[in-house]
Amino acid sequence: MKTFLGIFVSVVLGATFCFVFWVVASHDYQWDAIAPYKGNFISGWWTTLLISVIALVGSILIGALLTSGQLSPWKVPRILSRSFVEIIRGTPLLTQILIGYYLVAPAIGWDSRFGVGFLVLSCFSGAYLSEIFRGGVESIPSSQWLSAKAIGFTDAQTYRFVVIPQAIRRVLPASAGQFANLVKDSSLLFVISVHEFTMQAREVNANTYATFEAYLPLIFGYFILTFPISLLSRSLEKRFAYEH
Amino acid sequence: MSIETASLTKHYVETKAIDNVSVSIGDDVQVLALIGPSGGGKSTFLRLIGGLESPTSGEVMVNGIKLPVGDSALREWRKKNGFLFQSFNLFPHLTAEENVILPLVEVHQSSREDAKNRAQEMLSRFGLTKHLGKKPGQLSGGQQQRVALARAIANKPQWLLLDEPTSALDPEMKAEVLDLIEELQKSGQKIILSTHEMGFARRASDHVIFLSDGQKLEEGNAEELFENPKTAEVKLFLEKVMKW
Repeated sequence: MKTFLGIFVSVVLGATFCFVFWVVASHDYQWDAIAPYKGNFISGWWTTLLISVIALVGSILIGALLTSGQLSPWKVPRILSRSFVEIIRGTPLLTQILIGYYLVAPAIGWDSRFGVGFLVLSCFSGAYLSEIFRGGVESIPSSQWLSAKAIGFTDAQTYRFVVIPQAIRRVLPASAGQFANLVKDSSLLFVISVHEFTMQAREVNANTYATFEAYLPLIFGYFILTFPISLLSRSLEKRFAYEH
Repeated sequence: MSIETASLTKHYVETKAIDNVSVSIGDDVQVLALIGPSGGGKSTFLRLIGGLESPTSGEVMVNGIKLPVGDSALREWRKKNGFLFQSFNLFPHLTAEENVILPLVEVHQSSREDAKNRAQEMLSRFGLTKHLGKKPGQLSGGQQQRVALARAIANKPQWLLLDEPTSALDPEMKAEVLDLIEELQKSGQKIILSTHEMGFARRASDHVIFLSDGQKLEEGNAEELFENPKTAEVKLFLEKVMKW
């Protein structure tokens, strides 16, 4: 059965991969049409990188905060964090960006597309991360808590020395996936005219009508950003591994 | 140092784990054994005495002074004792040596160097010199329990509390760990243990409490209790477990 599945998966994926590659490669591209816009792609790519890196840090902080709220012994922070996570996860990012920029930001007199974009992305990704973090913390067996308690650790020490170091290992793969999503989700910031990578591609397309030539660079541009996250996550997993 | 309990009671939602137990463990008792059928309340009793849990009602007195109620207030009492659990409960992300060092540094404010020396001294005393740098997952059950024992006594505890320390071990490893416990007993360490090892309880302890259904059925000198049990239930239990 295992052998059969192995062969089946290899054949199906291999064939699909070859077919798509052949279709894409055999298209008659007019690269000259987009050549004058090279600078737009590069500046868009840097904007995406910048906003993703800042939002990644922001989402980790917001995720950690929401996790501590959800695990709090008090009811109020628990309910508020839970509601925040449910609302953010249950509604489209596109709508959140629009509401954030056109309703909430003006109400406090804030006019920064980049700033609002970063904050909305951080909240969005932070809500998902907090669920991953919470799962990681709750997966640490109660015997570890008991042992820490017996030693005389406070709750804070238990988190710092026992729970978090073990939870990090467990949340790494899912977090890496979420970070890759964050990079790609930043493309929705075009609705508030943040000149990130996808926005630039849309503009090039509008100016040249060379649709494939305008959008194909996105594949490479985003992959260069997301693949290192995947590699880094694997190497960190090894570093934090404690099973033999 | 004496330990007394007065009408000690611990109820969980639907079970009476410990029901109105009063005992008096005099200063002369060096090793106290808690015996009885599984689910009889041995572990709960041990945890109440060790301050890992607070009673529903009744009290524990150490040298005539009542133990405080509440988790953080009990921490000071826990810090003075050493615990060992059935399932070892070592921290899997730390090496054997780090498992012993961590509480010394973080709870007992030893310098890192002193803690390291103490850890090496304890682990080599328990025949684990070769395994200092290994993580629990790389050690056998018996070795893990010896590391846990080293961690429990590294801070020279007033009482060493052992909760069925050999139940999860095969016979050979059981013997290794029991040898060490006996060695500690001979060196004057005060011990309270819950155990199913009747032979060991009889040989090593000087006072025995028999708990069943959360209640104390008998209490007394080890030799006397094993030779002449007063109640029919204790007599039947001992006949059953000593038969093989």
